[in-house]
Amino acid sequence: MKKLNLIFISAAILFLCKGSAAAGGLWGPPQSVSREAGGLHTGIGYGYDQDKYKNDTEHVIRQNQVYSHLGYGARTWEIYGRLGVSELKISDAFRSSQSSTTTSKNDFKDQWSLFGTLGAKGFYPFHKNFGMGAFVQGTYFFSDFSDQVSGTQNGAPFSAELKVKNFWDVNFGLGFQATIPNDIKMYLGPYLYYSEAKTSPSAKISGIESTARDMTLKNKAIGGGFAGVDVPIAKGFHLNVEGKYSEMFSVGAAITFSY
Amino acid sequence: MRVLSLLAVLPAFLAVGCAHGPSPVSSPSPTPSFHAPVALVAYDPGQTPPHFPELVVKSESGSDPQRGDPSDEAEAAEEGMVTIADPLEPFNRAMFQFNDKMYFWVLKPVARGYNKVVPEAARVGVDNFFSNLRFPVRFVNCLLQVDIGCAGRELGRFVVNTVWGVGGLLDPASSKDLDIPKGNTDLDQTLGVYGLGPGFYIVWPVLGPSSARDTTRIVGDFFLYPVSYIRPWYDWLAVRAYEEVNETSLRIGEYESLKEAAIDPYVALRDAFAQYRQKKVEAAKGKPAPTQPQGVGPGEAGPPAPWR
Repeated sequence: MKKLNLIFISAAILFLCKGSAAAGGLWGPPQSVSREAGGLHTGIGYGYDQDKYKNDTEHVIRQNQVYSHLGYGARTWEIYGRLGVSELKISDAFRSSQSSTTTSKNDFKDQWSLFGTLGAKGFYPFHKNFGMGAFVQGTYFFSDFSDQVSGTQNGAPFSAELKVKNFWDVNFGLGFQATIPNDIKMYLGPYLYYSEAKTSPSAKISGIESTARDMTLKNKAIGGGFAGVDVPIAKGFHLNVEGKYSEMFSVGAAITFSY
Repeated sequence: MRVLSLLAVLPAFLAVGCAHGPSPVSSPSPTPSFHAPVALVAYDPGQTPPHFPELVVKSESGSDPQRGDPSDEAEAAEEGMVTIADPLEPFNRAMFQFNDKMYFWVLKPVARGYNKVVPEAARVGVDNFFSNLRFPVRFVNCLLQVDIGCAGRELGRFVVNTVWGVGGLLDPASSKDLDIPKGNTDLDQTLGVYGLGPGFYIVWPVLGPSSARDTTRIVGDFFLYPVSYIRPWYDWLAVRAYEEVNETSLRIGEYESLKEAAIDPYVALRDAFAQYRQKKVEAAKGKPAPTQPQGVGPGEAGPPAPWR
């Protein structure tokens, strides 16, 4: 009992650490949703991710993501891949810091870009209803995000395009899992991650910092905490709801099917 | 360059027409499929194969080429055999030979090569994918038959397999948990349900065995199958050819078995076709096969076509 208390206190402390949200979908429960003897599982998921990225200035990045998930696992391990699309919004990317420059909008926004995710999990059950595991997950956006801004600079009109390229992240986390009646799995844990994206403007506009030069945006913090629940619905389907907290709160849900 | 392209797609074109029906592969189907690559007869492995020798056919000459004995015809009629008129028998036999050669000289070698390169699991996945794409064909025909249960099953299968089956590559709907059976409703069945007889037997070059009624299915399927809308035309042809090669790779040997077992493969194929189509219509009507008078098509003198 003392051991369990320790685990949950540790998890809670880690969960409260400041960190950064990541893209690429839910982590899911530490234990695979595949059948214990081994098998495939598939799923669809939605994630609303928020994070703070910085270079010279700080930007809030928001993403709506939908993805398809294919995984293979057994009782103590799992590997999976995802393919999805995501939109991207960067707040104040086009905000001008000079009164002589006005812009048609402040935020960068682009529609669906394709991303792929690969991940793996390991799980160690130390009790009939409790266990812990670790995961590693990486995501890469195959296509660029881009948005155009127009405005005036000293009365002269201008138009510029900003591209966000090579957006990727890698995540590592530990999860503690408790299985309650009806085979509902509750889990929480800490995670670390690194993410970056390159920005490339088509023209330099004085007063708009994101167009000053090619830059690399990186996540502001390096870790966070997550918690979720996986509920068997019926006939092999599971509902997974998960929240992550770092600089900002992110949330996602997935419905998986175990073969 | 264009000539080269045409040469490249010619085998594809020949392969494309070598079948005209979806064929469940990944799991045993509750309804048989009649897949006829280059005049092949094939049945779903999970089903009882057609009993070719028991069939009666009204040929051009009015006699059964297999039996030849009028007393057998009467016996067959008593046993509820399936018949189909074959006034174009000389033409059909020529087309049968043509399709037979196309199978052995083109489609089978290509399919065998493909078979060696691509593992079976991948080929089954591809077959599932194309089967899933045929959802509009099955769904619309379920609606035309006013079979809401059938339409619901098809819609359910499509959603589940598309969303949780990785775009249809997997078939979770057929899993033990969900158990949504795979259907094979088509326009020929729909017309049969409404009382239209099969008409005469015809073997189309490349497309294989058919009937006057079944020919409308080929046309109807074309418009309801999303692959048909791929442009330019040679891309469509390439996709259809690949689909047929993949499907044939999963069925190599079935046609050969039929040929070996039959005294006259042409007649065996024709009878299997007639019986398969008749059974399919009866399955849709939800009634056992009625006994037909000799030489009359199943729908022509059958009971009124109810819908379920």
